[in-house]
Amino acid sequence: MDRIRALLRPAGDRNLNRLHRRQALVSVFMRHIQLIKITLFCLGYLWMLALPSPRLGRGTYIDENALGPGQVNTRWNWGDVANADRYLEQLEGLRDSNATSEQHAKAIMTEFTKLGIPASTQNYVFTSSTGKLEGTNAYAVLSSPRTSGTEAMVISASRISRVGEGDGTPNLRGVATVLALANFLKRYSLWAKDIVFVVSDNYVDGMQAWLNAYHGEAQSNLQAEELELASGVIWTALNIDYPGHSFSHLGIFHEGINGRLPNQDLLNSFHHISRWTGGVPVLVYDHLESHQSHIPSWIPRSLHQEIRQYNYRSKNVFRHIGYQARGRGSGVHGLFHQFRIDAFTMFGVPANGPHGFHSIGRVVESTLRTTNNLLERLHASFFFYILTTPERFLKIGSFLPSAVLISVAMMFGGLKLWSDSAWIPAATVQLEKEGDGEGSKWIQRSRPVIPVLGMMLSTHILGGILYSVLTTSWFSNNQTVASALLFLPVATLPLCALLVPSQDTRIVAPVSQLLKALNLCFASTVISITTVANFSLAMSLAILLGIPLSISSPSQSLPLRVIKYAAYIGLGLGWIFAGEELRKALWDWEILRVWFAPFVCAVYTPLVLQAGLVCLLPV
Amino acid sequence: MKLSLDFGVVFPVLVAGRLLVALTNISDALKHDHQLSTPLTSYLNLQEGIYLFKNGIDPYSGGVFRHSPLFLALFTTVLPTSRTVSSIVWTLSDAIGAWALVQIWRARQRVAQTSRDGLIAAIYLLNPYIFMSTLSLSTSPFENTLALVSFMFATQGLVSPSLLAAALLLQLSLSSILLLAPLIMLLASSPVSQLASPRAFSGNGKKMAPLVAEFAAYTAVLTLASALVSGGWAWVPQTWGASLTLPDLTPNCGLWWYFFTEMFDYFRPFFLMVFSIHLLIYIVPVCIKFQYDPLYAGFILLGILSSFKSYPTMADQGLFLSMIALFPETYPYLRYPIVTTLLHLHAALLMPLFHHLWLNQGTANANFFYASTLVYACANGAALTDCLWAGLRIAIGEPQEGFVVAQE
Repeated sequence: MDRIRALLRPAGDRNLNRLHRRQALVSVFMRHIQLIKITLFCLGYLWMLALPSPRLGRGTYIDENALGPGQVNTRWNWGDVANADRYLEQLEGLRDSNATSEQHAKAIMTEFTKLGIPASTQNYVFTSSTGKLEGTNAYAVLSSPRTSGTEAMVISASRISRVGEGDGTPNLRGVATVLALANFLKRYSLWAKDIVFVVSDNYVDGMQAWLNAYHGEAQSNLQAEELELASGVIWTALNIDYPGHSFSHLGIFHEGINGRLPNQDLLNSFHHISRWTGGVPVLVYDHLESHQSHIPSWIPRSLHQEIRQYNYRSKNVFRHIGYQARGRGSGVHGLFHQFRIDAFTMFGVPANGPHGFHSIGRVVESTLRTTNNLLERLHASFFFYILTTPERFLKIGSFLPSAVLISVAMMFGGLKLWSDSAWIPAATVQLEKEGDGEGSKWIQRSRPVIPVLGMMLSTHILGGILYSVLTTSWFSNNQTVASALLFLPVATLPLCALLVPSQDTRIVAPVSQLLKALNLCFASTVISITTVANFSLAMSLAILLGIPLSISSPSQSLPLRVIKYAAYIGLGLGWIFAGEELRKALWDWEILRVWFAPFVCAVYTPLVLQAGLVCLLPV
Repeated sequence: MKLSLDFGVVFPVLVAGRLLVALTNISDALKHDHQLSTPLTSYLNLQEGIYLFKNGIDPYSGGVFRHSPLFLALFTTVLPTSRTVSSIVWTLSDAIGAWALVQIWRARQRVAQTSRDGLIAAIYLLNPYIFMSTLSLSTSPFENTLALVSFMFATQGLVSPSLLAAALLLQLSLSSILLLAPLIMLLASSPVSQLASPRAFSGNGKKMAPLVAEFAAYTAVLTLASALVSGGWAWVPQTWGASLTLPDLTPNCGLWWYFFTEMFDYFRPFFLMVFSIHLLIYIVPVCIKFQYDPLYAGFILLGILSSFKSYPTMADQGLFLSMIALFPETYPYLRYPIVTTLLHLHAALLMPLFHHLWLNQGTANANFFYASTLVYACANGAALTDCLWAGLRIAIGEPQEGFVVAQE
């Protein structure tokens, strides 16, 4: 008992003890900071690798009880399938006669009108640095028989399917399904919300024009006709993509632009309905699970199943990160999210069977009945997830920490450098030879922050200029030459840092050290804050910036400095030569307002340039 | 590289630059922002009130308009309310604020001009918290300006203008009553920095009673004027009362709104009292501790006010942060300026992001935004406690080898 008391309340001055305790704690922390940093980095990266593991994550469930998915009898039947077939014939006729967009839209509008549903078309023109983009959308509004039309649901299909991210495959059966559904749905009086049918032109731009017009949003480079027909607030949108002859699975595509996701309840309901009402198996994307993947024989058999699952899930996770990090929507549905509309694309994975119009019609009907039940917004906690398979997902708590750990490691590194830069061991200064032996004396030196902040700011301004040149039509017209022309000045301008004179490090902290400290702190802030807005982007940043920014260091020899700098330029500016990818990112920004391209120019590249500057600056 | 920061050049250039930005359409995007303006300071509510007033409807009867009647008087008679004129007026108000800050600095140093003048003006005019609030046309930059002007006159020993400015400030914001005590002490003593050499209050204690009386007289006159303008006393519960009873729970960057949205109604009066009194308990200890430097006491109280008052905006914290520029002697004693800076960086990025996620995208909820305001509160707290520490620590002198200063 006394021993415990002695431990809890040691003898001596309480304040002194407290100070000793604090000093001991700080010194332990400071001595092991390198170890802590490395541990955090390892933990973070390992966590990222573990994301597809079948052991992480949990089964999907439906949070909103009002949805009641799959609890209705569907009435879509073979007669409706025959209707769809007839619409399909007409669409094929239009396709074979090389009809223009306008003719297509007019024909679709006529079909809606024949059904007695008010319909209209909308012309639009986008002007971008790559030229003009024209098209015509057709849409119809089926007023709900029960309410005043303040709320609506959308069923849409784009004329170009998402196959190959819109490579031109027509979405004939998708459009035919929409028309047949219009024919079918108007016969029932149970709709509590207006149903808006939209057949948008091209792949994504048609829907962007339509949605902007619907919500009265002005976009400077878009001239779109105003919509003649209006409805209420759109709550959900189902986008039908059915490019093949038949399909074997329905794939969920859910990523929206700028990393937005729809509420998971909608996806889960669809999965449930498709599985149990339609009898169609569901996939995430169009990845079929293969049971025959090759696994080396030296791995014990008991692990094979897990490895196969890991493989399959990692494909899904990679695909997800690819879409989300670049802010690119995985389909037409991605445009809805910016207006708070939960939307996804059901993609009929092309196959020789067994499913067709009959299954997709029933699934859409039942899903509409479910979304028709909604009385309030779906719950806010269901927007942060990663679907690893249709049945399993990762909650925010099981993926967010991975990127945050990296960011914390970078922050520790930056703070350590910052506090180190204020002090220099007296032994190296040798102002007086009092024989303090251990060299434990430290002398304080000043830290000029203003020039360092100026340097950081100028790299960001450089990034801004780079970005504004990228969006000119000159760049998009001669991209290959322009890339090289643009790369050279941006890459060589920071070389001015070689001219910075070396300062007396006994009184002033070296600029390179301060720059690195602030660079790490700022990069860490950017990563940890992006995690909530767009986790995949934050994760990519953590991978691309984490280690590289932490190992930047100045060196004595000039060639070494330039080589290190060149490596950073490659990391930070190499993307300028990725022709097709760059063109797409710029197109996304100009037409769809995806801020990935400006973000890379104004945040990512400058951060790496700063690390490059650290290497160039004198020791 | 020595930057020449001549006040005569920097000040006009910055004001002109800010005016240019203010005349763009940025304010249309910012005027709805909850972090920059509260129901008590929002430009939209002000316009609504002026419209009602001009059309002969009592603006205080609807529960929307919570500005002082003095604003009504000002905008319906002297100033037009067009957007362009408003932008110019708001920017000029900030210019006066920056100028007052520089005057305070000069008075504190007892010199007519210093090389830091330009820097101090820049710190005020370029402070993003203040700049954005001005762009959003929130009326809280007026409160900042009045606080600074009142301190400026106090440092220059001009009793009546100082007290008049303070009385005007009280009309705009009830919680600014906190600043009265340090202001009176400042008027009774000197603004010169005494942080390094603490001593008992040097001013003449007997001088203070008439000062308080004068302040009370101004307040009474202004209150009567307000009653005359609005034609009754309905404005009192709508303006002053609102900051005590929190009728409008529109989210802001402070700590009150979320707490009271979550609370059962029968606890409300009790916690309203606790929160309001909590602000008052700081006055006496801070003024006693910093009796030798009332300006510093006022600075600390401003920091407390900006963190804990009922309807704060980012401009309030901006004023506190910019005022740090007045006390360079404390800089070596700040313990964790980088941590404070990083906290503020995080808060300044997180708050708009979570606000957007919650109210625009709809993918998050109120808890997210509240969490980010807690980060902001931590940043405020870090800045405040560090300034408090540095202001006290400086009196003990330079750190010595083998000695550590500890707080009991």
